[in-house]
Amino acid sequence: MLENRARLKDRPGGIEYQNLFNRVQIEGPLHPGPPLAAGSEPRSFRPAFSWLLGVIGSNQVGPFYLGKLGIASLICGFIAFEIIGLNMFASVGWDPVQFVRQLFWLGLQPPAPSWGLRIPPLNQGGWWLMAGFFLTAAILLWWVRVYRRARALGMGTHVAWAFASAIWLYLVDGFLRPLLMGSWSEGVPFGIFPHLDWTASISIRYGNLYYNPFHMLSIVFLYGSTLLFAMHGGTILATSRYWAEREVELAVDRGTAVERGALFWRWVMGFNATFESIHRWALWFAILCTLTGGIGILLTGTVVDNWYLWGVKHGFAPQYPRVYAPITDPGYLRGSVAQP
Amino acid sequence: MKTSSEKPGLFAASFAAVARAIASAVGLVRTHPWLSATSVVGFCAVIAVCTLALTLERPPLHVVQTGFRGTGMQAVFNDHDLLAEARLQHADAPLPAVQLAGRPASEVYKNVKVLGAVDANEFLRLMAAMTQWVAPATGCAFCHSLNNMADDSSYNKIVARRMLQMTADINRDWKAHVGEGGVTCQTCHRGETIPSGAWFVQPAPYGTRGLTEADSGQNIVSPVAGLTSLPYDPLTPFLLQANPIRVTPTSALPSGGVRPSINQTDWTYALMIHFSDSLGVNCTFCHNTRAFEEWDQSTPHRVTAWHGISMVRAINRTYMNSLVGVFPRAMRGPLGDEAKVSCDSCHAGAYKPFFGASTLSAYPALSQVSQDWTPPAAPGGAAP
Amino acid sequence: MSMLNYEPKYRVRGGTLVGGDLFDFWAGPFYVGFFGVTTIFFTLIGVSLILWAASLGPTWNVWRISIAPPDLKYGLALAPLREGGLWQLITVCAVGAFVSWDLRMIEIARKLGMGLHTPIAFACAITAYVTLEVIRPVLMGAWGNAFPYGIISHLDWVSNIGYQYLQFHYNPAHMIAVTFFFTTTFILAMHGGVILSSLNPPAGEEVKEGAHEDAFFRDLIAYSIGPLGIHRLGWFCAMNAGLWSALCILLSGPFWTRGWPEWWSWWLNLPFWK
Repeated sequence: MLENRARLKDRPGGIEYQNLFNRVQIEGPLHPGPPLAAGSEPRSFRPAFSWLLGVIGSNQVGPFYLGKLGIASLICGFIAFEIIGLNMFASVGWDPVQFVRQLFWLGLQPPAPSWGLRIPPLNQGGWWLMAGFFLTAAILLWWVRVYRRARALGMGTHVAWAFASAIWLYLVDGFLRPLLMGSWSEGVPFGIFPHLDWTASISIRYGNLYYNPFHMLSIVFLYGSTLLFAMHGGTILATSRYWAEREVELAVDRGTAVERGALFWRWVMGFNATFESIHRWALWFAILCTLTGGIGILLTGTVVDNWYLWGVKHGFAPQYPRVYAPITDPGYLRGSVAQP
Repeated sequence: MKTSSEKPGLFAASFAAVARAIASAVGLVRTHPWLSATSVVGFCAVIAVCTLALTLERPPLHVVQTGFRGTGMQAVFNDHDLLAEARLQHADAPLPAVQLAGRPASEVYKNVKVLGAVDANEFLRLMAAMTQWVAPATGCAFCHSLNNMADDSSYNKIVARRMLQMTADINRDWKAHVGEGGVTCQTCHRGETIPSGAWFVQPAPYGTRGLTEADSGQNIVSPVAGLTSLPYDPLTPFLLQANPIRVTPTSALPSGGVRPSINQTDWTYALMIHFSDSLGVNCTFCHNTRAFEEWDQSTPHRVTAWHGISMVRAINRTYMNSLVGVFPRAMRGPLGDEAKVSCDSCHAGAYKPFFGASTLSAYPALSQVSQDWTPPAAPGGAAP
Repeated sequence: MSMLNYEPKYRVRGGTLVGGDLFDFWAGPFYVGFFGVTTIFFTLIGVSLILWAASLGPTWNVWRISIAPPDLKYGLALAPLREGGLWQLITVCAVGAFVSWDLRMIEIARKLGMGLHTPIAFACAITAYVTLEVIRPVLMGAWGNAFPYGIISHLDWVSNIGYQYLQFHYNPAHMIAVTFFFTTTFILAMHGGVILSSLNPPAGEEVKEGAHEDAFFRDLIAYSIGPLGIHRLGWFCAMNAGLWSALCILLSGPFWTRGWPEWWSWWLNLPFWK
């Protein structure tokens, strides 16, 4: 229904509407940041300009709040990084050429299954435990830091809770699930290709992770988050000539950017979020990605041993027409369990 | 509100140095008359894309369906690869048939131990074929003393006898894997005295490392497992020893008993990649990967492969292992073990050796092998 | 009823790509336009065909329904309806509906004086779909190389296609695509979180604005990309997630038939350390 007699005057959609890069960079006074709550240390270094970063974002780098927690976290992270890196280096006999050549292949493996939850010697997986400990310490300290930085600025702690959801998945993969399974060996090895091999192997061992409903949900929220950011990012950029990026201001005092962004989606799909609610959608989709993912992994092997058969049991595995005559396990025919 | 603007610390100083270096590089890019950031980045991107494109293959393809439509059960071949493979997978035409002598070789020739029952002329024909299959460059002298063909001093001759017994055994007892087409010496040897698929137990390539992580059998480049970082020697536990390969449970919920680990799965996975690479196929040649363990959803190839695993184990343990004392030290592996066979020994990259072409029926002598075998007196050192 | 109180002044004629004023109207909250009509057309036919194809199958269990492409033997020809022909028609309808929807988004964006960022992003998603269902099957010479329409059956297809290349995680384009997906989700959490934490401060605090958002991330990680930059970064990463996904499957088959780990041999065999 057309409610008004007006007609679009200018010819819209020209290149001036397509906000891609900052064409003007202002090198005005650098922002030291608002004052921090009482009890905070001073911020750590002088802010500087970066033309390159200014092409797509803010051209100011820093200042940075280091603080005691930050120092502790960085030290723990550095220790974990060194344990992993030096063990990888040792695994090619300290050959620097092979270290670079095989870097993606190298890894730090959790203890062998025979160790169970016992603490093995350093060279039998002890380093893996120690690296995991320090990495976890670094991450948890960093979490406290995220929480406290928000509070020091008088802000909500939403980012910290989103981070907590990611930590949940990390802890499930490397600590909680191995604990429940009674074996450190179930944990994820450190290393580029080794952790990818682990990902494939856990799926093979536990009968196809695609049939894990929490894995399905996690993927849905991963793709959903990407979809949301494409929609949200696109909407803000598309209405940036109406100052749409000032989201908080516009959330409390609506302007034409809000109206156009809202109407865009309303006209496209009959529904629109608001400048505040889109960020609730965003935060929840991202949080649920790792939250459901963690649940899915935690159930794997502890509660369900074969996800495909679980899917058969609950009636959601498709059945395909047979293309071969029935095939049975030749091991049964020979009556020998020792056969492959 | 206070910032430490007076004296930047080490961290700030180093950051500033890096930032200055990047800024000056960018400044160069920005100021040079015909250099812009866009053109430099674009040029580098074009070079990178062209270089990476060289690492890939190009169509046309040959796709073979191995399951119901839409399930993705397909073997995918590149035609250029197939042409190259077809040249490799070329079985020699059988030697012309000969008039039978009417007398067994044992009556005509001296010291004929395993082929004594074969007709004398057929025996000579097989000897000629074996020379062509195994040692075309060296000829008869590879096994025989040319002055006295009956002489047993060459270890190669001892090995050859045992290999004839193995061939006969495979063709007689392992039809479930090799079918009626069977195998001949050429299936593995293909003109080489040492078949290309021969393998030895692999010691840790970088040795022990003191306090740092000991060799875990994986997390380096694994050529056997298709260049993954999976275990680099999955053949010893599964094709020499008889460790269980199956890792996926057959019930939905955890039940008691042995529970294979994710780590054990790495080993099985590595073995399976060896199978795939050896046969030039992929996982879906045998499995519907949504349920690897389900026989009822697998292809008949999986049954053939199942027998193949037992066959290779039997070959390695019964035949190859019996020769460990026969091979001189130089012909053995780094740990002193004998050469062993894998899937690659016969298949050499084809789902069937020679894509199914067989010359076995032209050599009936290969089925008239005596199985008498006296283990050698281990002159060359003990087995590992 | 269906209009927001500020909506009437935005509902103006013009900005259409095709059809002039003919379809330039709204139905409830929805804008129609020429491409709205084509969207409805393709959607109705497509959904009807899906229902028809499902009725030919053994089940109405929504998880188990699978509408499969033709056997490979049909190549790029039309297949009988019951043996993949319906899949072919559904694919035509799907592409038609998706492209119509995208063009309709362009018309709406023009009407509202907006940039074309959202239709461009959606085009990346369409590219990924068309790559999977049209471009790659054409390059491989048969529609049978496409994925089936089914909630679980398409996962079975993904599993088998992955294991066709032995360990698909080693596909470099797949690695990049996954990295973009994770990165997008990661920065979405940070962006959503910081806006909400500005809008929802602790009791007694005022709502915070841009300066605090920047200060939070500068304090935390020394850099805040800023309120405009974060949307550029998110939009860019989201599109790249789709485009690299499309590339990773386009390479698998037409341009690589072995195990993906083997692709890395060029790196291992570089002349200076071979």
